[in-house]
Amino acid sequence: MSSAENLIQNKQLTDQLKQQRLDQLLARADIWQAANEHHRRRNGIATGYSGLDALLAGHGWPRGATTELLVDQSGIGELSLLLPALAELTRQEQMVVLVNPPHIPYAPALASAGVQLEKLLILHPRGPRDTLWAMEQTLQSGCCGALLSWQERQPPADRDLRRLQVAARDGECLHFHFRPQSCASSPSPASLRLQLASDGDQLALKLIKQLGGRSGQQLHLARAADLTRRDGPLH
Amino acid sequence: MLWLCIQFPNLPLEALTRAQQAGPDGSPRAVVEKEQVVDVNSSARERAVTCGLTIATACALCADLELLPRDTERESQLLQELAQWGYSFTPVVSPRAASPHSDDGSFACLYLELSGCLKANGGLEPLLQQLRSELQQMHISAFMGLGHSPSAAHMLSQLEEHRQWLAGAKAPPSPQQWRQWISFAPGKLLDCDHKTIAKLYACGIKRVSQLLAIPLSEVGTRFGRDFVNYLARLNGTRHDPVPSYQPPPEFHSELFFPSPLDNSEQLLFPAGRLVRELCQQLQRRQLYSQQLRWKLDFGQQGCKVLSVEISRPQLDPQRLIALTKLQLERLTLEQPVQAIGLTCDRLQPLGQDSVDDDLFGEASRVQRSHQLIDKLKARLGHQSLSGVTLKESHLPEQAWQSADNLVLNSRKRGHQLQPVNAPRPNWLLPRPDRIQCRNQRLFYRGELRLLQGPERIDGYWWQHRRHARDYYIARGDEGALYWVFQDLTSEAWYLHGVYA
Repeated sequence: MSSAENLIQNKQLTDQLKQQRLDQLLARADIWQAANEHHRRRNGIATGYSGLDALLAGHGWPRGATTELLVDQSGIGELSLLLPALAELTRQEQMVVLVNPPHIPYAPALASAGVQLEKLLILHPRGPRDTLWAMEQTLQSGCCGALLSWQERQPPADRDLRRLQVAARDGECLHFHFRPQSCASSPSPASLRLQLASDGDQLALKLIKQLGGRSGQQLHLARAADLTRRDGPLH
Repeated sequence: MLWLCIQFPNLPLEALTRAQQAGPDGSPRAVVEKEQVVDVNSSARERAVTCGLTIATACALCADLELLPRDTERESQLLQELAQWGYSFTPVVSPRAASPHSDDGSFACLYLELSGCLKANGGLEPLLQQLRSELQQMHISAFMGLGHSPSAAHMLSQLEEHRQWLAGAKAPPSPQQWRQWISFAPGKLLDCDHKTIAKLYACGIKRVSQLLAIPLSEVGTRFGRDFVNYLARLNGTRHDPVPSYQPPPEFHSELFFPSPLDNSEQLLFPAGRLVRELCQQLQRRQLYSQQLRWKLDFGQQGCKVLSVEISRPQLDPQRLIALTKLQLERLTLEQPVQAIGLTCDRLQPLGQDSVDDDLFGEASRVQRSHQLIDKLKARLGHQSLSGVTLKESHLPEQAWQSADNLVLNSRKRGHQLQPVNAPRPNWLLPRPDRIQCRNQRLFYRGELRLLQGPERIDGYWWQHRRHARDYYIARGDEGALYWVFQDLTSEAWYLHGVYA
């Protein structure tokens, strides 16, 4: 083989290698490409609320990422917001794990929302170290559809949040993290941050941060009609 | 019939020191019994310490000799374990303990009948190789002999020429060759007491061939009936029965540390060896275990038992070691550990489709979730994991129960409970929380206003404790929805759930 041919072949090989590297780089979830926008459009998991889907970049909860829900008060419908997505995941035979829920998840309510109870796992690890370990293991295991966690008394370090985000990406798992609203001002690696509050009979959502999409929008979601109906009972 | 005899010359020493990591044998060691050296390791042998010396002589030869008292119980247990190991190759196994008189020079040995398992193991040569390499892995030194009867195998295992042939043996030898070896063997290799051998030598009989040349009746009058029987068994003219070994349906193995360990990390190495032994046996016997029970022996200070739960049949040693590691990491040792044991009882037969070695990864998600749950259980403890299920009851707090074992494979049962068709809160309080009631107004973090109700739930009126309640949905000041009830007997108000 002549040296010229050799040279040409070498050049082709290096070109291929470069292309491969570029493809690998572009395949990363955190690189945004205008040309790929339509691909990315629909990889979220439907929230069950069309108004919310329209606001979110992936037309649903971002897959393989942390979603932070900033809530101060329980009882405004924060869990009901997630239930349609969780029900869909359990129907697809994926596990849903609750880590340190503040109260008992009430089986009849979850079952009537369509959640398959045998796919639900509740963890109560002792101490923050075990909690973080269990969350990371669960997120990166790849067999868990969604993990819901509630922030304990001391806020987790930024490094830990980042680790959880990476673990969620590795395991393609939805991670919902409930935190108090006082954390709204502190930076966070989460790809979606939502502020939840109550407004009359409605749940008021505010997008604080969204990777690959706009933020700052507000949305009101009505609560289930059979809850807010007024009979005006006397006692 | 093709009998293999495996003799274990260093069993007294190995029963005590097997647990230690393989490496250059530093310190000279000897096992002693009744003021006599019974067994020595290689570095002690280099210093001219041999079996049969008194302790005083041995210590004079080698000042830094470490003396370990002989533990015959541990030895016989190790022999049982070896029999169990042998049973994984062939169903006809017979262990024989060393004779109590240590000066006899007879070692503990194991008889294996090989003619039935040659085909399954790919012939004689691969089988012998496998046996040798596994013995080496277990750190057990041994030598072997092949014979047409157990007695012949025992004798030939001591014959140097036969052992050399066996090292490269490809197929079982012909009957003539056996006869040749036996008749060539020196008389001192006969399996009988010293007195008889001395008598033989006094008669000028040095080789077995000379003995066989004498008519049997003559031999009988001089050496007795038993000796003639023994010769017949050696020849193969008489049956040679040995007690057959029946394995218990459980696994037990123990490693003893001559110098106690005080760090839980150091335990990982011996634990890994035990797990590998377990997996080999389970694989061969097509069994699985749902629980590994580890016993850490602190000697005088008692012992500690750890158990590792395994949700699915699992024969991969690496995963079992990883689960054990999670448990050992949590452990802080207060006392040094002298021995570690692994017990698995309730071994169950492996089903057709139950092993997690799915070649095409079809059920990989279910598999991974089993592995995840095992891991979580091992580190967090059994009680930290739970599930929820429905239960049939009128009372809201009894309409659910926590489920211990998660049903990960969705297998629909015949009877499915249906949840009640009324709005129920997502969170239930473990105990109803008292609400303040002043002037017909309810206060719980601000004033509560009732939206709907009442829904009367009246249960257990036929029993001593009646539960009569009127449930309402109420709204707090900040828009949160609560599930509250009024107890009809005491007229007090309680918060029972939150519509999260």
